Amino acid sequence: MKKIESITDFYLLRDHIISDRPEGLSTLIIPAGTCGQASGANDLIRVAKKVILEKKLIDHIRLRITGCHGFCQMEPSILIEPRNTFYPKVDLGQVPLIIEAAINNEIIPQLLWTDSETGEKIERQQDIPFFRHQSRTLLASNEKVDPIRIHNYIENGGYQTLAGLLEKGKPDAVIKEIKSSGLRGRGGAGFPAGLKWELMAKKPKGNGKFLICNADEGDPGAYMDRSLLEGNPHSIVEGMLIGAFATGADKGIIYVRSEYPLAIKHLMIALRQARDLGILGQRVLGTGFSFDISLVKGAGAFVCGEETALIKSVEGKPGEPEQRPPFPIDKGINGNPTLINNVETWANVPVILAKGAKAFTRIGTPNNTGTKIFSLVGKIKYTGLVEIPMGMTLRQILFDIGGGQIDNREIKAVQTGGPSGGCIPEKLFDLPMDYDSLAEVGSIMGSGGMIVMDDHSCMVDVAKYFMNFLKDESCGKCFSCRKGTQRMYELLDDISRGEGTVEKLKLLEELALVVKDTTLCGLGQTAANPVLSTLRYFRDEYLEHIEARKCRGKVCKDLITYRITENCTGCLLCIKACPEKAISGKKKELHQLDESKCIKCGACLSVCKDNAVIII
Amino acid sequence: MLSEIHTSYGYLSEKALRQIADVTGCSLVDIYGVVTFYRSFSLKPRGKHICSVCTGTACHVRNAPGITEEFERQLKIKAGQTTRDKTFTLETVNCLGTCALGPIVVVDGQYHADVSIPEVKKIINRTRRNSSSSRIKPDNRIFPVTVSCSHCNHSLMDKTLLVDDYPSIKVTASFGRKHGWLRLSSLYGSYHVESEFEVPEREVVHFFCPHCHTEMAGAVPCPDCEAPMVTLLVRDGGVVQICSRRGCKYHMLDINGAIL
Repeated sequence: MKKIESITDFYLLRDHIISDRPEGLSTLIIPAGTCGQASGANDLIRVAKKVILEKKLIDHIRLRITGCHGFCQMEPSILIEPRNTFYPKVDLGQVPLIIEAAINNEIIPQLLWTDSETGEKIERQQDIPFFRHQSRTLLASNEKVDPIRIHNYIENGGYQTLAGLLEKGKPDAVIKEIKSSGLRGRGGAGFPAGLKWELMAKKPKGNGKFLICNADEGDPGAYMDRSLLEGNPHSIVEGMLIGAFATGADKGIIYVRSEYPLAIKHLMIALRQARDLGILGQRVLGTGFSFDISLVKGAGAFVCGEETALIKSVEGKPGEPEQRPPFPIDKGINGNPTLINNVETWANVPVILAKGAKAFTRIGTPNNTGTKIFSLVGKIKYTGLVEIPMGMTLRQILFDIGGGQIDNREIKAVQTGGPSGGCIPEKLFDLPMDYDSLAEVGSIMGSGGMIVMDDHSCMVDVAKYFMNFLKDESCGKCFSCRKGTQRMYELLDDISRGEGTVEKLKLLEELALVVKDTTLCGLGQTAANPVLSTLRYFRDEYLEHIEARKCRGKVCKDLITYRITENCTGCLLCIKACPEKAISGKKKELHQLDESKCIKCGACLSVCKDNAVIII
Repeated sequence: MLSEIHTSYGYLSEKALRQIADVTGCSLVDIYGVVTFYRSFSLKPRGKHICSVCTGTACHVRNAPGITEEFERQLKIKAGQTTRDKTFTLETVNCLGTCALGPIVVVDGQYHADVSIPEVKKIINRTRRNSSSSRIKPDNRIFPVTVSCSHCNHSLMDKTLLVDDYPSIKVTASFGRKHGWLRLSSLYGSYHVESEFEVPEREVVHFFCPHCHTEMAGAVPCPDCEAPMVTLLVRDGGVVQICSRRGCKYHMLDINGAIL
């Protein structure tokens, strides 16, 4: 690749790329982010390439491999441009037919999306309820861009905002625009990004000013940052370049967790291509502005998502958080001014500068502008990534987009904000999803994880799960967090095993408040949230575990029993599946379950086709 | 530094840590502190196959603990341990970020979605089988490509020596002071190679066209291991790039024009 030496040359390259685009061809788009690959997208891609080569179709159809589109559950899927035909859960054998139909501008009705209630077939992706109610500013780009081709990013308007700013823009004006947009940090705390940038811009150059992209998405259940990094890494690079232009930073770091190998790969490719083209490095696009980005990998520590711990990790030390103030803007990496923003925050920056702050504020609500990507997962019909305007209610997200409950169960609660967040009960589902409303009910927006729980989930188990996670991830510096999370876990474990008492419950609550008040960093200060919020709304479940030794969610193993009912047809499947050989019986005869051997693993329940296994 | 050594050897030995202490001047106890702080570093050698069970929230509500226990039962080890014959290591990971497909298990980099308890045994057996078998089974996804040199466009196909029962791709290869022929399988996805001399693992090989003698190196380094990539033209349009490092499996078939 030839290095771009001037802004004029950049526009020439862009025009050249656009004019080179073959007109009138359909494009086969296959999402192959980590989810897609886990679902078999790689095989689809292989067969597609095979068919195109063998049938000599290279001049008749285009193939674009992209990152996640968001409807992960329906992958491997194929999208056809320009019609926007959506084929969910594609089988390998169907690929040649889909290619042929796409070339002839036809569709295959029996492979289209079917509404499970009405039986209606829907062709276009944007008409499917899951997509229709979203506001896909960022995720839509994942469909248009091949993440490992920088030319593809430029073809879709990429780096033009940067070029325009370098040509005619002023740093102060950029900061003003970010401030007017009302962009709040998408990592969880929701601090106004513009304010942070303004403070950073005022810092002297000294030994260097750093920008960090916090890509240590550690919240279990949240993966929107992963999909942005895998699917559109250049949007983050451009965001950081704009940020460097506005604040005078000269070095950038993307801190990405090691559990995201594909994101790391795509980022490395993107950074290399940007450097080769002269978009990163000395004299960006031939101007006097210089900025480069390096990649630092995490190593499996949740606490390193906390900004002071992240800085320690970048410096090569154990990620133990530090007291704030001083804030990273004053004293960050090696004591230098450091501005840290989340992946989704950076991704919004080119959007705001391209379309203007006013357009950004038209989405969302006052004080909570723009969109937010949530990962809608758990006990819900349609799981995946959803991008919604802030202020949409939880009920709309669950039922209009998510399709509601599975298996005729009842949705009991939604957990937001990861281990620092809380549970929102069914009676509050008309809550608008924004930073302030969530805080009022005892939860937080957090990174955007949204775990749906139905009546087969146990709220004590949920609190115990998060406490188990937090006690392992506690860095150990503060006594009250180190010992407090461990002790809270033990108390919750006692309750879940039927060994709870009212005194233990009182102790748990008191301990939760103490840990909240006496720790240094966000991990400890919010560690109590899962306990406090489940106690606030589901205290009766706790009391049921203690007083009646009953787990109504049928989860806590010591309080449940598995049983085989008369629905059993004697098919022998559960006998084969049981790892403890606890089930006996002959073919066509009612099977017998020996409760003394049963370890409640759930294998029999998962294989039974006659609904003959129940939990009481 | 720790990360790269861990990736190369699969774990951080005491010897390695002591060497790092010598070279960097940091105290051994500080280095030990860093290593034990980060979960993904292992101080013990790990097995041939690494099974990671995701224990994120979404996977948890879909019975990830049950999956972990089943792995423990089948492999007769606890999470965090390696089997005595060193074939399997079982680990848990705090969220892999594929939450919509839970419960998720990753074995040797391959993701298994929506895993049920009976499936655990199948996954283990399949992993054992695949590592010992080297035959390419007839498969819809595997197909032969016909390639030529990207400089002179002369075909590189050789019918006189078949690999995987198809005409092989014949090139001239050199590394160190050795120089001779190398034949690659033309089955896209097969890594079978026949060569005049044994190429050591991890060695970077230089590929030359046997007709015009130009080195067939691409402009882009391998995203997995940074070695140079070799570019070959595909007959019906498109470009194949393969990594020039022995043992690195990275390859890419591009039908839209070369990745720059």
